[in-house]
Amino acid sequence: MPSFIQKDPSSFRDPSGFVFQKDYLVYRQVNKDFKDHFDFFISSGCYKKLADADLLIPHQEIKENFTGDSNWYTTLLPEQIRFISYPYEWSFDMLKDAALLTLSIAQKSIASGMILKDATPFNIQWHNGKLVFIDSLSFERYNEELPWIAYRQFCECFLSPLLLMHHTKISLHSLLLAYPEGIPLAVTQSLLPWKSKFSFHTYLHVHLQASYAGKSAKANQKVSFSKKKMLNLLLSLETLIKKLKSPSKPTTWSAYYEEASQRNDYVERKKELISSWVSELSDIKDAIDTGANDGIFSEVLAAKNIFAIAADADPLCINNLYKNIKALEKQNILPLIIDFSNPSPAIGLNNTERKTFQERVNTDMVFALAIIHHLVIGKNIPFASIANQFCKYTKKYLIIEFVPKADEKIQQMLKDKPDIYTNYSAEKFEKEFCVFFNIVKKQEIGSSGRVLYLMAKDE
Amino acid sequence: MNYLLYIDPGSGSYLLQAIIAGALGVAFYFKNIKNYIKSFFSRRRKNEDDNIPS
Repeated sequence: MPSFIQKDPSSFRDPSGFVFQKDYLVYRQVNKDFKDHFDFFISSGCYKKLADADLLIPHQEIKENFTGDSNWYTTLLPEQIRFISYPYEWSFDMLKDAALLTLSIAQKSIASGMILKDATPFNIQWHNGKLVFIDSLSFERYNEELPWIAYRQFCECFLSPLLLMHHTKISLHSLLLAYPEGIPLAVTQSLLPWKSKFSFHTYLHVHLQASYAGKSAKANQKVSFSKKKMLNLLLSLETLIKKLKSPSKPTTWSAYYEEASQRNDYVERKKELISSWVSELSDIKDAIDTGANDGIFSEVLAAKNIFAIAADADPLCINNLYKNIKALEKQNILPLIIDFSNPSPAIGLNNTERKTFQERVNTDMVFALAIIHHLVIGKNIPFASIANQFCKYTKKYLIIEFVPKADEKIQQMLKDKPDIYTNYSAEKFEKEFCVFFNIVKKQEIGSSGRVLYLMAKDE
Repeated sequence: MNYLLYIDPGSGSYLLQAIIAGALGVAFYFKNIKNYIKSFFSRRRKNEDDNIPS
């Protein structure tokens, strides 16, 4: 393979083809072995139907063998995804919609004589304000006599985490970090409450399947299946998943801005200031809002046609933001659950299959609004480490809010713990951040005592 | 036909899937009958409502 071609480290499982990068563009090669299925995917109208309905990423076919591979059949150039996110960074309703999207695609492809041969949330990405299926090689000709090969995978990757969150009422998105290939049904079964056995669909898909696991069928046992049975199976999964509800216990941050907005005109002044600063910078295409909460400052960016990753450690805030984005069909905000004191690590084969959060973020701007005191006083992280981390996230600018120690919120945090933070001052903050950035602007937000900084990265 | 299957469906999973799909077939069959009866009565009630002279 030529050196200017970089094969994607996560694209090794499926022998039908692979993903590679060339000149900053992501392509997908279709292998000769998969020719028959791929041709039928196009000629049956399945591709057009799914792409027209915005369920599948559209691609352009390029008849050029970039990789020089002898197994090459054709090359696809899909519409490019702006930011690759992983299911352990998604909120409950995002994963639920990803599951429903998978089932809807399975049902629609059956109508075109095709079937999904795998069902993992890693085949789904955020594109133009919604989740879309990105793996154009997941479709193969449908044989009505065979059951669904991806059934168990679907149950472990989607149904298990959703059911566990529904029943425990706790956000367990990080379980997918421990089990990226799906939570084994035996694990799910043992964690689910006993009453879940009384749900007919849950009993069939989890309890019955888990108790049956490992018992192999007799070698020559003929399994009869039909299209009707397949559609019933998909309908049952869909019925069950539609009923599942997100954990919605109020969390520490879920009413933050409701409360914050009551503090004089603090939020409004902050919005105006940020908006005018961002307007003066003409070279911002994308940004990350760390500690985005319900996304009101990400919306300032989105309104200026800047793609914003709205990240927060609070799953409920991100879930509410997702529902809001979905309802209002907002295009430019990607909501993700990220804890900046513990961002997603690299996992999978060779620790390269899924990249760290830091490796994936390289935006023109970072917002760090009222988050610094949570990292320094809440998590004991030194200013220097935070400055270093933000410096890696941004290509150009940082807008950061400094909260002074006298602030009511910090005093609340220090109520029950000794004040060991003698280094927490505006002078120390500026000194440590100036190792990586230049201060371009600095202004107090109204009379709140909190100060907003616009910093530019040192060249 | 050449199938490029690469994921493991799980041992015994095909047989179990057939059993689950069979159970679902029965359940959906009765559900459909229930829905039919329900809609029959609600339609009749609606018709009766429609026939009430104003």
